[in-house]
Amino acid sequence: MARKSQENPQLDMTPMIDVVFELIIFFVVTLTQANAKDETVRLEDGKHGIELTPDELPPTHLIVDVARTGRISMCDVTITSAELGRRVKERMRKYGEFPVMIRADYRAKHKAVAEVMNACTQNGIWKLSFVAVYDRKSEKKR
Amino acid sequence: MARKEQENPQLDMTPMIDVVFELIIFFVVTIKQEDIFSKLNANRPAPNSAPSTSEENDNQIKIDIGPGGMVFNGRGVSLKELDRNIKQLSATSKKSTVLVRCTMDSPHKYLVDALDTCNKYGMYNLSIFSM
Repeated sequence: MARKSQENPQLDMTPMIDVVFELIIFFVVTLTQANAKDETVRLEDGKHGIELTPDELPPTHLIVDVARTGRISMCDVTITSAELGRRVKERMRKYGEFPVMIRADYRAKHKAVAEVMNACTQNGIWKLSFVAVYDRKSEKKR
Repeated sequence: MARKEQENPQLDMTPMIDVVFELIIFFVVTIKQEDIFSKLNANRPAPNSAPSTSEENDNQIKIDIGPGGMVFNGRGVSLKELDRNIKQLSATSKKSTVLVRCTMDSPHKYLVDALDTCNKYGMYNLSIFSM
């Protein structure tokens, strides 16, 4: 065989590098899908709120997005307030009380935000949190 | 074959280094720095309950939010003026409840501003009522 006749056999790295790059691409793509959110939402500044660190939130937390147009969504999937209410109820039954974070656009009308709040209160969640920007790194606010 | 004739075969690193640099440049350019977020906690009274009236104590502070801005003590106020008012009130008691009453057509911005101002001065008893 050709391989055996080599004096000083060298490990061919090429397939390994190929596989590693493939894995990197796989994880980059899947990780971005996991925290899907409505990218159109622009938040108001809230420099005096409690700083949000991702690992501080319990895994049962729920993030609801409200777009400028009043579109209510979770993980960038549009839902009605009735559907949101059902999900809150179901989650409440499974896990008990859980934090609800409302990411509402600063231009959104209160009507849509009130719909989200009502869907929560009607199912036993009285404490709500609004997400605001603590420290703005991007310059694209208005 | 050319390879077999080599006395001391060496892995050529040049293309790999090229590709790695290319990737570093790609990630540096595409990754944008994320904003750091904060949360503003508030309570929501039951949707069908009327906003507290006479039986509640007078300690309750009311901020009204309409489409044009914030109204405090029956007077339209800017964020700066509200800040000053809340600062004064928080000096006497931080325990009092702040009731934020929003009209349906008010932009969410003012609600966040009002909650943020209350958080600034340590007033954490916040209730939101929609009208």
